[in-house]
Amino acid sequence: MLSDTLTGLQESLEKAIKAASSLAELEAAELRFLGRKGELTNILRQLGSLSSDERRTVGAAANVVKVEGERLIAEARASLLSAAAGAVAENEWIDVTEPGMRPPQGHLHITTHAIREIGAIFERIGFTRVRYPEVDWDHYAFEALNMPPEHPARDEWETFFMEAPAGKKGRMILTPHATNGTARILEECADRLKAGEAIRAMNIAKTYRRQSDITHVPMFHQFDGVCVDKGISFAHMHGVFDYFVKAFFGKERTVRLRPFHFRFTEPSVEIDVSCGMCGGTGMLADDQKCRTCKRGWLELGGGGSIHPNVLKMAGIDPKKYSGFAFGWGVERTYMMKEGTKLDDVRTMYKNDVRFLEQF
Amino acid sequence: MNTLTSYDWLKHYVDLKGVSVEEFAKRVSLSGPGVEKIYPQGVDLQQVVVGHVTSVEKHPDADKLRLASVDVGEKKALTIVCGGLNLAEDQWVAVALVGARVRWHGEGDLITLEPATIRGVASEGMICAANEIGLAEAFPHAEREILDLGVAIPEMKLKAGTPLADALGLAGDAVLDSEVTTNRVDAMGVVGFAREASAILGKKFLWKPATLKAKGSKKGAPTIHVSEKKLCPRYMAVRLTGVKNGPSPWWLKKRLMQAGLNSISALVDITNYVMLELAQPMHVFDVARLAQGKKGLEISVRLAKKGETLKTFDGNEHHLDEKTLVIADAEGPVAIAGVMGGERSGAYYDTTDIIFEAATFDAVSVRRTARRLNLYSDSQTRFEKGLSPHALPDAIARAVELALDICGGTVVGSVVDERAAVSKPATYRISTKEVDERIGVSIPKATQIRSLRDLGFTVKLVGGTIHATVPWWRDQDIESGQDLVEEIARIYGYANIPPVVPGGTSLLQVDPSIRMEDTLKTIAAGAGLTETYTYSFVSDDLYRKAGYDSSGCLHVQNPLTEEFAFMRTSLLPSLLQVVAENQERAREQRLFEIANVYYPPSTSGVWNDLPDEHLEMGCAFLGDNAFANAKGFVEHVLATHGITDVFWKRLTEKGGFWHAGRSVQAFKDGALLATVGEVAPNILGNMGIDGRVAMVDCPLTSSDGTGLFTHAVHARQYTVPSPFPESKRDLALVVPDRTEYAALSLAIRRVDACVASVEWFDTYAGKGLPEQKKSVAMHLTFSAPNKTLTSEEVDALIARITSAVKKEFGAEVR
Repeated sequence: MLSDTLTGLQESLEKAIKAASSLAELEAAELRFLGRKGELTNILRQLGSLSSDERRTVGAAANVVKVEGERLIAEARASLLSAAAGAVAENEWIDVTEPGMRPPQGHLHITTHAIREIGAIFERIGFTRVRYPEVDWDHYAFEALNMPPEHPARDEWETFFMEAPAGKKGRMILTPHATNGTARILEECADRLKAGEAIRAMNIAKTYRRQSDITHVPMFHQFDGVCVDKGISFAHMHGVFDYFVKAFFGKERTVRLRPFHFRFTEPSVEIDVSCGMCGGTGMLADDQKCRTCKRGWLELGGGGSIHPNVLKMAGIDPKKYSGFAFGWGVERTYMMKEGTKLDDVRTMYKNDVRFLEQF
Repeated sequence: MNTLTSYDWLKHYVDLKGVSVEEFAKRVSLSGPGVEKIYPQGVDLQQVVVGHVTSVEKHPDADKLRLASVDVGEKKALTIVCGGLNLAEDQWVAVALVGARVRWHGEGDLITLEPATIRGVASEGMICAANEIGLAEAFPHAEREILDLGVAIPEMKLKAGTPLADALGLAGDAVLDSEVTTNRVDAMGVVGFAREASAILGKKFLWKPATLKAKGSKKGAPTIHVSEKKLCPRYMAVRLTGVKNGPSPWWLKKRLMQAGLNSISALVDITNYVMLELAQPMHVFDVARLAQGKKGLEISVRLAKKGETLKTFDGNEHHLDEKTLVIADAEGPVAIAGVMGGERSGAYYDTTDIIFEAATFDAVSVRRTARRLNLYSDSQTRFEKGLSPHALPDAIARAVELALDICGGTVVGSVVDERAAVSKPATYRISTKEVDERIGVSIPKATQIRSLRDLGFTVKLVGGTIHATVPWWRDQDIESGQDLVEEIARIYGYANIPPVVPGGTSLLQVDPSIRMEDTLKTIAAGAGLTETYTYSFVSDDLYRKAGYDSSGCLHVQNPLTEEFAFMRTSLLPSLLQVVAENQERAREQRLFEIANVYYPPSTSGVWNDLPDEHLEMGCAFLGDNAFANAKGFVEHVLATHGITDVFWKRLTEKGGFWHAGRSVQAFKDGALLATVGEVAPNILGNMGIDGRVAMVDCPLTSSDGTGLFTHAVHARQYTVPSPFPESKRDLALVVPDRTEYAALSLAIRRVDACVASVEWFDTYAGKGLPEQKKSVAMHLTFSAPNKTLTSEEVDALIARITSAVKKEFGAEVR
């Protein structure tokens, strides 16, 4: 009887699937029983000799055997595969704690990191980065900033002079601050201001002073911001400083403005940041005086409302326009951020690779 | 500049009842001088009391020591072992009790006194010398000399057991270390500081100027000749006779000591006291020590004559030049105007006949003189900031008042007052509306006016506009209506002005080189290079060692040291130096720097204009495959900047910085993009570098529009990839060993447009190849825009290639 043969075939198939211990054995079983030239096909070929009723019954039963067989084979294959996957842990073991093949690691200088971080904060509130000469006429470093020749205020900037003849705009110098950029941008943009465009720019540049000690190097960097428009007030300056301090040092830090004196700003201010070590109290938890700050505050730098004379020199009407400017040291500001642990600024420019590779 | 001010002294001139020092410091710092430190007074004198020596006996066991019985207000007198030479019975002394902090013999740190047995005798305290309790400046003394309070401070109320800090009037006082800005010399004086505090705190200003009644007659008064009115716009002098000089009373010494000044003698101390009080330096001359002229007592203010010298009271001799303003008597200079007085004519203990001088000197002249002579003083510090001629009468009156009080004597003749034209005080205007706009808050008109008045301005309000007349003590400082904004804003309090981030945007264009520089740094660090920052100025020595010529460079006129002599025209010498300095600890180095170099202006080539500042990238590679790493990095940079079709040209110039056989330059459309090569061995030798170094010199920007950034492709164009598959073949060619790959690959590409790319992957020479031959292996890619190339077509192309390279280079397929 064909149906008996069919039952036998099913049993043999199930036995063979169970017995298969590898994918190859499983495939052989599949081929033998369910393949194109396999035993099931053999049975189906004999269907022709049966009556149509029997043919229907046996045919349906054969189909069940086929579907069920295929399901069992798929199951067995999955379980064999997963067993094999488990086995690779043993067969294909490598030492994963060995170092990988790293691409060569480069390093950016700490000053570049500082410039990026500072520049990005000011960019978010609309200060466009600009670039101006590092060797400039003293007109732009002093006269245009309300410091006529021989003014004692010039002494505060220990200036390098160049061996070059003086020109119409004075002597050639190494910029002792990045504020020459402010003088130049005001001059350049005076007309655009009249056309309704605001000035909001930041010059981050190398600056030079005749000094070298633990807190000074003869070449350093300043970021110098300027903002001029109709209706710019002290409150706006306060806003920009407050924004920077919170973004750069942290939300919990506060800014304090104190009166100061610069020739190119009026009112002039000195900007202090509350100390992060003592929380602005000046005292540490152990009742000791904080060594990081002065009575809870750290000096960040100077700034102020642009002096009307400076605007006038640039051809801007101080009755119509007002603004503010500030210039702070990049290195100093970055060193004030806790965690850099850099206490000698000269280290930054010695270029010892053991220093460079830490950033 | 910082100034030390006694809080107690300030209280004389501003009503500070109920204001603690801390509160004062906090509030005044926000609107005026910044109080940086507070030094409570007398804290180091705890457990130091006034004692009365009731008897003195020999020490049983030491010749140089004695035993003093000292009454310190307790039931039982203390026995103290003392080595003081001047110790005597019935003497009033400073006694440090057990627990007091003293400085042994005035040296070292403060130590806490403990009970001690000295040569077998228990000592219950210590009788102090002035330098052991921080009073040496007020009471200079010899070694082993104790402080005899009865002699040192005759006016002191003596009571055994009184804490010394109380007896000295130090307890409860504090000294403020404050920063006063250079435009506010007036606030360096106690009176000016008090006036500031009064306006800031809204407390009553109590100061009244001294008045001086001098006879109208000129008789006896000195004659003053001012020949340089510009340099000395005003000179006042007054003569006193019958004065008695000597040590100052304690209150005067105390004020000087608290301000960090030494006590010299009463007359000199008075001039310094007036300076501390009114910020107007003064000088005192001893008439007996001045050389009289034909007309008697004559003082001239003139420029020094060639060859004149002056020994200043610090004991130094100065050679004066014709730019130096001096005060002179008939014999010669007696003081360098505004800087320092001479030793010859000063006041000493035997002085009885004096002239007080108060003058105004030109700030720039004083400043230059001080710099020239390298001579600095408290006077000069004030003069060079600029002082008002109107300050003199108060100063003269105050000095006379103090002198009559302390030293006695009488004023002789009238006060001499030589001055240039009198200037009218300036008045500046600003509308209250403008003040509000500049500050960004609305401040009531009355508040604005009150702030100015409190600071001493005379104010009128005319139709919404403030007319403020500048008080004389601000006449060197206030220059425009905008200055009034500052005064109003700071008294209002900067902290009370709300922070507002300005809205709107700026249409300024970012200089593209800033962005590109930043991106290039990222690329370089990403490729494994470490960034350096070296100084823009370099030394002749470095340039010479590196084989560079510094003659065309822009030199610094006043370099800090020879290390920083001139502005560099290349980053490479500096980088090479960094390699040399690091070579001991790092045998593999990959460094880069992006910075400006400074060339003569391209328009003229001479220094009649600012230098052309070009941005440049320099790189240095030390270690294996230095050249290949350097060149590979440049190729990477060019590719990341979208620069293709670069022409590489061998650099063969001998005797220069570059290795003549191992250097190459990249050009694009005829413009130099980069030089890559090894550094010539002799240069490495000069620098003391061991091993091969390859460097990159890459101009990024320049005024004439060349440089890598100019050629960078920002907007990349999309090319549709061919839908037809490419064919790839490898080809190895044996060629003479000096055949250059660039020429070979170019020849291959020129054979047919279907040669899509030629990619080098190996060069081999040696075993299996003839002498002076090398094998160059390449991946070739073929494609056509309109069809798939058949294998036969590719074979035909290869055949054409091999025939072409055979003809041009004698190449054989390997």
